Amino acid sequence: MSKPGTNWQSPDMAQRLAKRYAAERRFKRLGVLAILVSLSFLVFLLVSMLAKGVGGLDLAFLTGSDSTEASTAGVWGAAKGSLLTMLVTIALALPMGVLAAIYLEEFAPKNRWVDLVEVSINNLAAVPSIIFGLLGLAVFINTFNLPRSSPLVGGMTLALMTMPVIVIAGRNAIKAVPPSIRDAALAVGASKMQTVFHHVLPLALPGILTGAIIGMARALGETAPLLMIGMRAFVSTPPAGLTDPSSVLPMQIFLWSDEVDRAFVQNTSAAIIVLLVFLLAMNGFAIYLRNKFETRW
Amino acid sequence: MSVILLLFLVAGLGLIGWLVARAKAQALYTGRGSMHSRPGHHGWHLALWIVIPALLGISAWSSLSPSLIHSAVLADPAAASLPLMDMERNSILSEAYAIAQNPNAPVFNPDAEKLVPAIVAANQKFGFIGAALAIVLAFVGGAFGYTRIRADYPARTRVERLVLGLLLIASLLAIFTTVGIIASLLYETGIFFSKVNAVEFLTGLHWSPANGSFGAVPLFWGTIFIGAIIAMIVAIPLGLMSAIYLTQYASARMRRVLKPLLEILAGIPTVVYGYFAALTMAPAIRDFAGFIGIANPSTESALAAGLVMGIMIIPFVSSMADDSIAAVPQAMRDGSLAMGATTSETIKRVMIPAALPGIVAGVMLAISRAIGETMIVVMAAGAAANLSANPFASMTTVTFQIVQLLTGDQEFDSPKTLSAFALGLVLFVVTLALNIIALRVVKRFREAYE
Repeated sequence: MSKPGTNWQSPDMAQRLAKRYAAERRFKRLGVLAILVSLSFLVFLLVSMLAKGVGGLDLAFLTGSDSTEASTAGVWGAAKGSLLTMLVTIALALPMGVLAAIYLEEFAPKNRWVDLVEVSINNLAAVPSIIFGLLGLAVFINTFNLPRSSPLVGGMTLALMTMPVIVIAGRNAIKAVPPSIRDAALAVGASKMQTVFHHVLPLALPGILTGAIIGMARALGETAPLLMIGMRAFVSTPPAGLTDPSSVLPMQIFLWSDEVDRAFVQNTSAAIIVLLVFLLAMNGFAIYLRNKFETRW
Repeated sequence: MSVILLLFLVAGLGLIGWLVARAKAQALYTGRGSMHSRPGHHGWHLALWIVIPALLGISAWSSLSPSLIHSAVLADPAAASLPLMDMERNSILSEAYAIAQNPNAPVFNPDAEKLVPAIVAANQKFGFIGAALAIVLAFVGGAFGYTRIRADYPARTRVERLVLGLLLIASLLAIFTTVGIIASLLYETGIFFSKVNAVEFLTGLHWSPANGSFGAVPLFWGTIFIGAIIAMIVAIPLGLMSAIYLTQYASARMRRVLKPLLEILAGIPTVVYGYFAALTMAPAIRDFAGFIGIANPSTESALAAGLVMGIMIIPFVSSMADDSIAAVPQAMRDGSLAMGATTSETIKRVMIPAALPGIVAGVMLAISRAIGETMIVVMAAGAAANLSANPFASMTTVTFQIVQLLTGDQEFDSPKTLSAFALGLVLFVVTLALNIIALRVVKRFREAYE
């Protein structure tokens, strides 16, 4: 651009440079602004929930169940429903996900079928959650006649949704175990199966668990698929078993947010605080696991 | 005998088998190379021979026994007085079953109560037969397995083959789920299209399922307007700029702090966003609309839902952009800087164009996530199927309508509920297509720089 013989010290050039540096600063400020806007929204959201809800958090709220009266309604019934649902989810999704990850990473031959499995796992991880709800409704409730609104069906539906997440995390964790470990086990006479279950799996376990906890945290906050299978029961007593009608924490938030009575605003915000505390604890535990057991080979 | 107890019993037998077989195999050991498999493998081999036949027996019996119980109950003298009408008869029978299962169940029909003893007796009888069958099978299997405990028997190979089969089944579960989704959606949609014209559904401009008009275009438009236009107007600039700042300007320490903070946004449940959109954002936007002179602004607006959805998507766009910018070779950046370009010039003229395919793919994935998002629109977008480009108008989406159609009272084969599955199928196909295209673009883009 510069003509031959341009003087680099000329005022013309200095002006151009100043302009370019100004553009540079503007661009950088724009980046800071983008982050600040995003984070200030986060802060705003959390603070507004805390401000509205923290007054409603007391022992009666944490141990009570749903009620038509805002002042006596509590969150324990829904929390117990969440707990039972999560138990079913983890009991199904973790073993299945880990076994599938082991197969795909260690045993699968390279052929069309295995490609199909991989493609469908990657796609399932991106399918909207409401579609899993439709699946649960059509298959578990209408075909197998399992009890509606129950933690059993909810947990099974969420397990189908969580499994791909665990498979993907599990594969990455297994992939990260160096081949030398496998070679060493095989060299002293272990079978392929012994190598995997005695050496590779224990080393990959922290990574797998981290992925599983993150998947569970996502399932815990999920509402849409459970709406499809009718987990919006009005539960005035906590569910006693896996087949009782129940609600879950996010569903309770949704139901309370629909109440006309303004007094439920505090309940809703308080329930959101409870849910966020659970999620934070789970994610914090996942990060702790990762930091504590992460091995750089 | 309850099934749980039976399962525990079978598990206990399996454990005993494991211990016995291992002990026997240990006794067989006479020195290096005298055994094909280790004692533990013999233990597993016998335990599996005990547990698997018993479990097969239990599951076969539990699928068979209801019909056996049913015919036994009908054969009972108490059932002779049952009305012959199918509907009445079935309702009495199902009530009787409910009482037999749970003595505290409410009694509506005295006839039902008379049947209860017969049902309880039949339950007990067939339950006992089933338990006996399971235990006999466990012992037969165990006896067979026991005869296999020999020094040269390949117990390890057999057990490992079974485990491999189990691994294979687990990995096939993903395919089953996909097939299940497609099959159930296609099946219900097929029934729906036998009642409502498919072309009318896909091109009709009027949506009002209560009156039987199923033109879904307003829903598609609402979905695109909220998820792919408003949300992306928020998410793309904010996400992209924060990714650029984090990768190009921020120090490593700042990045370590800021990135997880940004990712918290992605971890907040959508119902919380929905509540926030409905409680805080929507009234503010309504007031703003009133302020700039729009008459009768509605509380439920496409803008409120879209804005909040966009904020939810920011970390997603940011991390996708982050990945694709990081995939641009360092040499290209260094080359540009060495020519005297400033950092921002390098980013705008070199990095972004080079990373563009990856960024576009990331945006496509973000759109697919936004249009499948349910709770925010359910809580903030409204139910009116409007075909307008006014962001302050109430607008409805595909996911909102699915929820609306399938919650509350429903009879299962009305076109109203079936249309939800047709909408689900459209949603599934569109998100699938977006994902497949995006993943393909990313893959090609990665290959270009390798």
